[in-house]
Amino acid sequence: MKTKKLHGGDLVFAIVLVIFMTVFVVVTLYPVINTVAKGFNDGIDAVRGGIYLWPRKFSLKNYQTVFGMQNLLTGAKITVLRTVIGTLASLFINALLAFVVSRERFLFKRGLSLFWVITMYVNGGLIPTFVLYKSLHLTNSFYVYVVPGLISAWNMLVMRTYMEGLPASLEESAQLDGAGYMTIFFKITAPLCKPVFATIALFVAVWQWNSWFDAMIYNRLKTEYTTLQYELMKLLASVMQQSGSAESAKNSTNTITPVTIRSAATVVTMLPIVMLYPFLQRYFITGLTIGGVKE
Amino acid sequence: MAKANAVSVKKDKKITWKEIKRQKALLIISFIVVVYGVIFYYLPLAGWLMAFENYKPAKGIFHSQFVGLAKFKFLFSDVTFLRVIRNTFAMGVINLVTGTVMSILFALLLNEVRQRGVKKVIQTISYLPHFLSWIIVTGILHDALSASGIVNDLLLRGNIVDQAINFFAKPIYFWPIVAFANVWKETGWGAIVYLSAITAIDPCLYEAAAIDGAGRFQKMKYITLPCIKPTIMIILLINIGNVLNAGFEVQYLLGNGLIKSVSETIDIYVLKWGISQNDYSLGTAAGIFKSAVSIALIVIFNTWAKRRGESRLF
Amino acid sequence: MKKLIALALCLAMVIGCLAACGKSGSKTTTDNSSKGDTKQTATTNDTKTNDTNSDSDKQEVTNFTFFITMPNPEINDDNEIAQMIADKWGVKVKETWLTGQTASEATGTLIAGDEYPDFIDSDEMNMLVDAGALIPLDDYIDKYPEFKETWFTETEWEKFRQPDGHIYWINPFGNTYGESKATTHNDEAFWIQVRVLEWAGYPKIETMDQYFDLLESYAAANPTLDDGTPVIPYTILCEDWRYFCLENAGQFLAGYPNDGSVIVNKETMTIEDYNTSEDTRLYLKKLNEEYKKGMVDPESFTQTYDEYIAKLSSGRVLGMVDQWWDFAYTVNDVFKSQGTENKGYNYVPLGLTTKPGMANRWHTYDDTVNQASGIAITKDCKDPEKAFKFIVDCAMDQELHDLRFWGVEGVDYEVDADGLYYRTQEQRERWADTSYKASHKCDYSYFPQWSGTHRDGKNAMQPTEQPSEFMNGMAQPLIDCFNAYGVTTYPGMIGSIVENNGPWFPMYSYSNNFTTETPGGLAWALMGECKHEWLPKVVMAPDFEQGWNEYMEKYNACKPEDFLGEMQQILDTFK
Repeated sequence: MKTKKLHGGDLVFAIVLVIFMTVFVVVTLYPVINTVAKGFNDGIDAVRGGIYLWPRKFSLKNYQTVFGMQNLLTGAKITVLRTVIGTLASLFINALLAFVVSRERFLFKRGLSLFWVITMYVNGGLIPTFVLYKSLHLTNSFYVYVVPGLISAWNMLVMRTYMEGLPASLEESAQLDGAGYMTIFFKITAPLCKPVFATIALFVAVWQWNSWFDAMIYNRLKTEYTTLQYELMKLLASVMQQSGSAESAKNSTNTITPVTIRSAATVVTMLPIVMLYPFLQRYFITGLTIGGVKE
Repeated sequence: MAKANAVSVKKDKKITWKEIKRQKALLIISFIVVVYGVIFYYLPLAGWLMAFENYKPAKGIFHSQFVGLAKFKFLFSDVTFLRVIRNTFAMGVINLVTGTVMSILFALLLNEVRQRGVKKVIQTISYLPHFLSWIIVTGILHDALSASGIVNDLLLRGNIVDQAINFFAKPIYFWPIVAFANVWKETGWGAIVYLSAITAIDPCLYEAAAIDGAGRFQKMKYITLPCIKPTIMIILLINIGNVLNAGFEVQYLLGNGLIKSVSETIDIYVLKWGISQNDYSLGTAAGIFKSAVSIALIVIFNTWAKRRGESRLF
Repeated sequence: MKKLIALALCLAMVIGCLAACGKSGSKTTTDNSSKGDTKQTATTNDTKTNDTNSDSDKQEVTNFTFFITMPNPEINDDNEIAQMIADKWGVKVKETWLTGQTASEATGTLIAGDEYPDFIDSDEMNMLVDAGALIPLDDYIDKYPEFKETWFTETEWEKFRQPDGHIYWINPFGNTYGESKATTHNDEAFWIQVRVLEWAGYPKIETMDQYFDLLESYAAANPTLDDGTPVIPYTILCEDWRYFCLENAGQFLAGYPNDGSVIVNKETMTIEDYNTSEDTRLYLKKLNEEYKKGMVDPESFTQTYDEYIAKLSSGRVLGMVDQWWDFAYTVNDVFKSQGTENKGYNYVPLGLTTKPGMANRWHTYDDTVNQASGIAITKDCKDPEKAFKFIVDCAMDQELHDLRFWGVEGVDYEVDADGLYYRTQEQRERWADTSYKASHKCDYSYFPQWSGTHRDGKNAMQPTEQPSEFMNGMAQPLIDCFNAYGVTTYPGMIGSIVENNGPWFPMYSYSNNFTTETPGGLAWALMGECKHEWLPKVVMAPDFEQGWNEYMEKYNACKPEDFLGEMQQILDTFK
């Protein structure tokens, strides 16, 4: 708070702030700690419930099971690949598209926006999509992880909003200097968009990282294209038995995977992607000054 | 359609050869992404045909028996479906309001935290629950709200109630519980986009306000909030279109027979009466209904935003 | 851009580290994971060293794929027993299980893509037949007369015949070889903790009234556990599809077997509805009374499965209705590891009826053949001939069966001087270990499997049914209880009458396949929805009669007669 004296309003504000943040952190952190605690607990013991902040009967068995899983390395490799390639490609194309639709003078500004907005609310369904991907030869291949998700209207709109907030004078002066749109994009807009790029990169990366459904549907029998999340989901599905019925469950293998493995698996998938955050965080924790180019 | 729209909206934008040539780069990009969009988003909509037929996987989309509007009639003559629309809509609106308010509030307040280290730590913590699956979050929530859970414990100790409340037996508690679960899991994650918008605010504005004697609260209210308004508007408009996508898992995992009348959403209904019965057509019909409502909603609110001169989707 | 690349490297490193930790963690799978990406063609060479059958005729291994619409743990590609089976029988099967989808969705996608695994077992067999995805098995079955005779009876095979006159799938479960060795009661019952019976001096409990009287008096005398936790006299699991714990006790209480959706009156050959029967009314009325007395867990209808299992594992719950497989494996493990099994926390089943002296049919000694699903060979199968032969081998070759369910002799089980199989404590624990199961155990559980007596006439087909294995796992209070009632197994506790099932049994295998396309199927779905909501309400109703009447009104609005009519038509085909 430096040495500056707080005046009344600010003091109240500071107190409210501290209380809010404390409550928020406690409430938010609890499920995470609980998950970590359960992941380190013995599977049989955890069945009794009542594990809150600390494991009751410590065990590394759950992590051993998760890491002992076959295809873990293949899955991890594919997941990293799809996350890196998918994020970079998607970021670039979405940024380009956002740039196009944020140009005030662009002839089809509204039309193109609407075209993409609609895609957020319509969905042909699983089966037609499957048939389409199959005819495009995207099934049984790595491309199915990258190509279909390249453009996302949501990401594009967030970037567009950010770009529209940039001073228009920048573009105008560059145009007077004879710069084309592409030059403006690479030389002026893109460097200023770091915070929003970081945000969108995070969103895409997390989405790519967590995806498993596509691996299951489109690469069901292709072990070489399995992803980390799909391997974990397979492990977890035997815990949940969501879609079961009495008649079929009866015939299932008697011993099910302990619930604690779910927690361990969650921690394992969460950790790497959470570590991504501090890298990107600085882009939007530090205030960005457009000062250098102020009019 | 796109062309007509663009022309009618902006009258001053004349399509001339000169302009087209100038915008060549933009037009080429547009053309490529439109082709892409048509293939990956619009082509699968051929699947909507399924809603008008008695789709059988064995026969495929183009050879199944055509039944006209029968599936829609089935849906809208079923009182249960009307009830699940109500539930979905109610939970969608509640979640939209609480989710948006909490995320913005959190972003604004976090921005006021001065210590950089603390700020980073809080933000990192805030978005961790996003990575927990619903089954974990609902499990913990169920635990906390059970008869011997922490909530009843506190209520009993504080003499607020004299008997443990069975939160999951009374319909009245269900929507707030779902709203809380959403806020709990997604507030930090939802705040990220606002935090990134805040970084674009020119620091000079704060300096100027400080000179005018504005306190922290005033600065937040009169500078930060208005500056991130375009982002808020865009996210809000997008989410308004999503009110009927109030979810599936959380209601499925928290619901039970006693409170079915308030807990079932459209997606649960589709699973029960469509997918589990091998009736894909019914699910498609419900999907078309949801899409129609979504698009109607965003058109209405987009027009409203336009009238008020706010940022809008298109 | 540079930052992102740095980041990607970082991520890769983290993964590398994590995987490395994993390696040191579990020994059995270490060397395998690195081979994970090399193609499966290498498998034949990998295994030359397997001593068990190195001298037997080497044949080329065919790799088959198998998709099953059930969630189950997957085994490793280089699973040891799978490899032994491949060496000897020339077949290796890669099983893929349902993940995060419904059976119907998964099957629908397969059909849309028109690409199938070699084998398939789906809950939606009819969809696959319609799509022409399956190959008829009739000719293959006729090629193996011994299998044909042993596996099913003529009537049983007929149940699998589809309207087009072909048989497309074979149910792999529910077959007993020779004499039944059933030690557990895998199905539904009113369960009670042995300590309650012991406390009361092992009385004869025949009716629901006696059962609840006993729970009440025990709870009054022993209101808490040793650590002060209050006991729950009776709880009801009601989560989602598991609500059978509340729903169908009425049919058993009336003395009928588990036809599931309806009662079959054998004398008149008519379908009866147990939902509206007097026995069900009395059952719900009793629950309602007990609920008001505070004997029934107030959280019954809102608890999740995990919460329910947690309650049972704590030993607080004195009794409930459930099926053995739904709770016993997990809960008994906890009792064992906590040492609470010595306090008599284990549950034993009781064969209750509405009135004393009635014959009960909670346990069915006869085989239950579910004709609705089973293993099938698809049109994309590379080598149907060999695929079918493997199905036959699974059923007919005792050595293969032993390998699948007992494991490797000397490693997973021992043989004593009398030729009886047994497991040491260490072997038993390892067999239950998750990682070991993935790397070593391979039961191909959706291929034909037997229960009952081993072909050597001494052992049991399944380790769980081996008397020594069964007795070994039993705690003293449980043994005392069995002795007091003069029985040796769980079914003995129930004392159901021994009889043959009608050829239609179980009727649920038909109703499970109903869809909303027929009026009966629609009614069936509506009835389920109605019961889900109203059964709890009736139990909790302040005035039972009013609650019951309201429920009946809602129930009858679902047109149950449509459903019963269609069930009657099916039953009529057996006349």
